[in-house]
Amino acid sequence: MTHRDDSAADRAALLAILRRPPPSRDRAADLAQNPCRDRSHRFPGPRAGTGAAARARFLLVTGAIITLLLAVALAGLMVGSVRIPATEALRIVGHWLSGGGLGTPDWRPAYEIIITQTRIPRVILAAVVGASLGVAGMVIQAIVRNPLAGPSILGVSSGAATGAVVVMRFGLVVLGAFTLHVAAFLGGLAALTLVFWIARTGGQMTPTRLVLAGVAMGAVLGALTSLLVLTSPDPQLAARVLFWTLGGFGSAQWKLLPVPVIALALGLCVMLAQARRLNLLMAGDESAVALGLDVERFRRSMFLLTAALTGITVAVSGVIGFVGLIMPHIVRLLVGADHRRALPAVALASAAFTIAADLVARSIIAPLELPVGIVTALVGGPFFIWLLRRDARALGAAR
Amino acid sequence: MSAPLIPPARLDIEGVSLRAGDTELVRDISLQVAPGQMLGLLGPNGAGKSSLLRTVYRMSRPHTGRVLVNGQDVWRRPAGWVARHVGAVLQDMPAEFPLTVRDVVAMGRSAHKALLEPDLPHDAALIDAALALQRLGPLQHRPFRTLSGGERQRVLLARALVQQPQVLVLDEPTNHLDLRHQISLLQFLKDSGITVIAALHDLNLAAMYCDRLCLMDQGRLVAEGRPEEVLTAGRIRAVYGIEPLIARHPKTGSVWVLPG
Repeated sequence: MTHRDDSAADRAALLAILRRPPPSRDRAADLAQNPCRDRSHRFPGPRAGTGAAARARFLLVTGAIITLLLAVALAGLMVGSVRIPATEALRIVGHWLSGGGLGTPDWRPAYEIIITQTRIPRVILAAVVGASLGVAGMVIQAIVRNPLAGPSILGVSSGAATGAVVVMRFGLVVLGAFTLHVAAFLGGLAALTLVFWIARTGGQMTPTRLVLAGVAMGAVLGALTSLLVLTSPDPQLAARVLFWTLGGFGSAQWKLLPVPVIALALGLCVMLAQARRLNLLMAGDESAVALGLDVERFRRSMFLLTAALTGITVAVSGVIGFVGLIMPHIVRLLVGADHRRALPAVALASAAFTIAADLVARSIIAPLELPVGIVTALVGGPFFIWLLRRDARALGAAR
Repeated sequence: MSAPLIPPARLDIEGVSLRAGDTELVRDISLQVAPGQMLGLLGPNGAGKSSLLRTVYRMSRPHTGRVLVNGQDVWRRPAGWVARHVGAVLQDMPAEFPLTVRDVVAMGRSAHKALLEPDLPHDAALIDAALALQRLGPLQHRPFRTLSGGERQRVLLARALVQQPQVLVLDEPTNHLDLRHQISLLQFLKDSGITVIAALHDLNLAAMYCDRLCLMDQGRLVAEGRPEEVLTAGRIRAVYGIEPLIARHPKTGSVWVLPG
């Protein structure tokens, strides 16, 4: 057989490159004997520039997201029942960050207390919760190989809400001020264990089983929560329960921050270290196995990690929907699906989005506050519908 | 060109059986592929070709028997080891996520990378070479999901090549390809020097390019040997239920099966 369209010599050279063992770590020896570094003249087409272009785009997008994050964080410090001008807010933050060394405190002392005791923890909590939900959502979508999944799909959120409601309903106070948070976390953990057990019954834990088990668990727990609320003698319970089912950062304070911050830091480190493997999951189980991933075990460990992260966010701020669902999408559109880039970007973007949502939630009907989950759903719901329609059209066109 | 090339490996399938529930997919199959040889798996739909291949790239654990690559049992080695030695070209890949062609090909390097190790120039060179070899250079930034079936198959082959495997497993690699690309693929596999085991549908192309053929039916190995030994009128009648005419290719002399 002859091929007129490409020369056999070129193909042989390309094959030789592919069949050459990896270069030794010794750079000099490598350069001396490895001609594949000197291939620039041989094969036309975009090549050397591709990595650089993608990196430049990633840095540009990330820079824009960071700018946005800083802007909404500043707005988060300024806006509230008392409006504090930007310059004052910045000077107070500088003064506070430097431990009192920077700037002279000529502002009203109340401003300093509002900013350092209320607004900074609130903005940090919103950022940390948002980032956690964003990365958890992105990883969940890879685990169940379904871009329409989110952290709430695991049933963890519903479990956490139920745990909190049980404590409120029966007035259990075992661990002091943190009782509710611990109960929420334990509720999430219990729901997770059940989902896990259901998904694994009778063989492999497939994405479909995982989603179905999570959805079923969510429905049962939601009904249980409603039942507890409706049969309660306390008429105020329904209002307090809304906090858990719609979420909010009204309870933000410094002592609440360490656990979610540490969880996010650890979780993000593990996810970034595993980013390459997360990419493989996007190619489907069969491909992932063929490319060297122990899919079952990896899916299990990532599932536990994201569930823990989700459970902790629900424990401190209630169930906030849509962040973990839409932000991964937006970020993939901007920087691509490779988790090595998408994970840091989604953490930053989700933090900015959640701070902004909280800003809207507490200023739109001031001095009252909307649950932040209402804001994220009002913004996220329509976006999600648009996404579904766009995807359906794109897939229709591709087929 | 002084560096020694990666040598092909020997593949031994020893008494492999595979069940799904009560269904016997593969029944006690043994076969060998010598280093650098190309073996074609033939058989009607549902004969168990794909199932047998799954036991080689570590997707389905056989209920009995062993799969050995250079004497090493793939089911006793870590998944990463297998991916560094065995490359699989699957029929297709789900594409829910906006992965580019280059992203997909780059996945082939995963098993060679240590934790947190970035992509090195060596990896980029391999990916570029595989893309160029499959004439995918101009498509490399396109989303994988927008490609045609034939283009996707070439991407999956490129991905398997950057794994730098010693054995290539291909599950009906030609089924989305036009005739020119089918021939080009089979010729490439023959020239690659890699040990190849491929499930194929086209008896004549298989006979032209494969060193040896295996005929499977209902999970069993019906015949194994050189193409002219395996493709006899009696066997084709028994396995495929058609009345064949066996001829010879006028130029190459390879076996040629015609519906009679």
